[in-house]
Amino acid sequence: MKKSVVSKEYTNLQKEIVKLQEQWKQSLNPDRIKPNLDKAALNAGVPVAALTVIDFEITLFIQWIDEINKLIAKNNPELEGKLTKVSELLNEETAIRWIDEAFALNHIYFNRFAQENEIEEWIPQFLAETALRPYLQLTAEKVQVEIHQAIPGSGCPVCGEPVRLAQLEGEGKKVIHCPRCLAHWAEKRIACSHCGNDDHKTIQNITIEEDPTSQIQVCEKCHGYVKVIDTRQYISKPSSAILDLNTIHLDFIAQENGYKAVVDYNDSIR
Amino acid sequence: MATEYVKYVDVTKCDGCRACMVACKNWNDLPAEPQDFLGTMQSHANVTADTWNVLTFVEHENSKGNLDYLFRHSSCFHCTDAACEKVCPENAISYTDKGMVVVDQDTCVGCGYCVQNCPFDVIQLKNYKDENGKEYRKAHKCTMCTDRLDEGLQPACVTTCHTGAMEFGEKDDIIRKAEKRVNEIKERYPNAMVYNPQGVGGTHTIYVLAEKPSVYGLPENPKVPTSAVLWKDYAQPIGKAMVGGVAMALAGAFVANKFFDKKNGGHEEDGGGNRE
Repeated sequence: MKKSVVSKEYTNLQKEIVKLQEQWKQSLNPDRIKPNLDKAALNAGVPVAALTVIDFEITLFIQWIDEINKLIAKNNPELEGKLTKVSELLNEETAIRWIDEAFALNHIYFNRFAQENEIEEWIPQFLAETALRPYLQLTAEKVQVEIHQAIPGSGCPVCGEPVRLAQLEGEGKKVIHCPRCLAHWAEKRIACSHCGNDDHKTIQNITIEEDPTSQIQVCEKCHGYVKVIDTRQYISKPSSAILDLNTIHLDFIAQENGYKAVVDYNDSIR
Repeated sequence: MATEYVKYVDVTKCDGCRACMVACKNWNDLPAEPQDFLGTMQSHANVTADTWNVLTFVEHENSKGNLDYLFRHSSCFHCTDAACEKVCPENAISYTDKGMVVVDQDTCVGCGYCVQNCPFDVIQLKNYKDENGKEYRKAHKCTMCTDRLDEGLQPACVTTCHTGAMEFGEKDDIIRKAEKRVNEIKERYPNAMVYNPQGVGGTHTIYVLAEKPSVYGLPENPKVPTSAVLWKDYAQPIGKAMVGGVAMALAGAFVANKFFDKKNGGHEEDGGGNRE
């Protein structure tokens, strides 16, 4: 039995990043984040973060990116040169732009930035996203008590990340966890997070041989999927970000079988 | 050693559903062993080589003259100083990095000294036949689902327990929890206690018992036989250094026969209490 296909080295690097993010979040003044819990907007599927006023500290953001660069370079010295180049490019103006574009998950901008500056494609968005998450996580922490459900198809009600990960808790309650901002909310055990379908005839659970904790819940109506992990069996629960990474094989299985985490409603059968 | 984990069994929360037995059979692919009716709710008289945990049912008259029906999840205790490990002449029994006691099936020769010296009677032999019809034996017992622990999962029996009678966690936390629980139940069960016998260096299954150990058929003060300690910890290492491997293997066979063979006049041990 092997629970993950991700190498120990990469998992450990991600764990160190998650640890850093937690430290950064703890160092933030909660008053810099002013969420706006507009019920009408929430019911329309607008993520809370989109209406939240966040007073970003740009120098801190740049400092965090430097820290990530050092951590990655320590684990993979070959990348040091490329990461140093990014640090040189990152001035206040670029950092503000990075925050905006990371917030909107604008991969087109980051790809173009990488091409223009001749750096590897994954680097800019990865760094921006990593340094943005403490703000999103603090936002989620502040509004968590008000987050009880999500609008199907709208993703995470706090940050808008597509839904793809659920955990079984207590007596078997399905709780969706956002690996980006760490918000969580309960959902019916047999229901599709993407289209709201709760017809048991068209919701199926794919189980993985020799993997006693994982299921993939798929919807035959919209062809969306969610990974459902029984973390009650774990000795210690990992953070949702690590759990999402360590269950990446389930994403492959689901996607190879024609299911999607982001459902295109033009393709779906409704 | 990595962080020390233990299994916690609070028998006062057990409702005797036997799901732990089923989960163990299921996870470890152990065959069913049809049993005759034993005259009680208990399915098997004891653990066997193919049934690594058994739910015991004891009818007990308590100090107030009332009947208590006592249930206990019974399986390997995974002793810190395991007698089975000490007496094994082939070194087939060892500790994992988490302190669990496991049998290497390739090395085990089925001599049975572990069976005779386990203070809890939880390791048993299984008979096999090879392709030539020759019979041989191997020792089997609960592994604490070591394959699951290695992947960060709790043992199968623990995850299936629906009353919360079983948990798996860090040793210090579990001992604190067990002591707290004993204080909570003292009024109802005046003899309640934490069972973590120090005669075997403590165990990796820690019980909250409602009554004295002997009521559950457990030894009050189990110990590793002195002969086994002298042999494994002193004579064997010195002997290997002085007389070499082959001579020591011969000496090992003699000592094992002489001292560890309970059936043929070996040592006595403080084991097995009152089986009511």
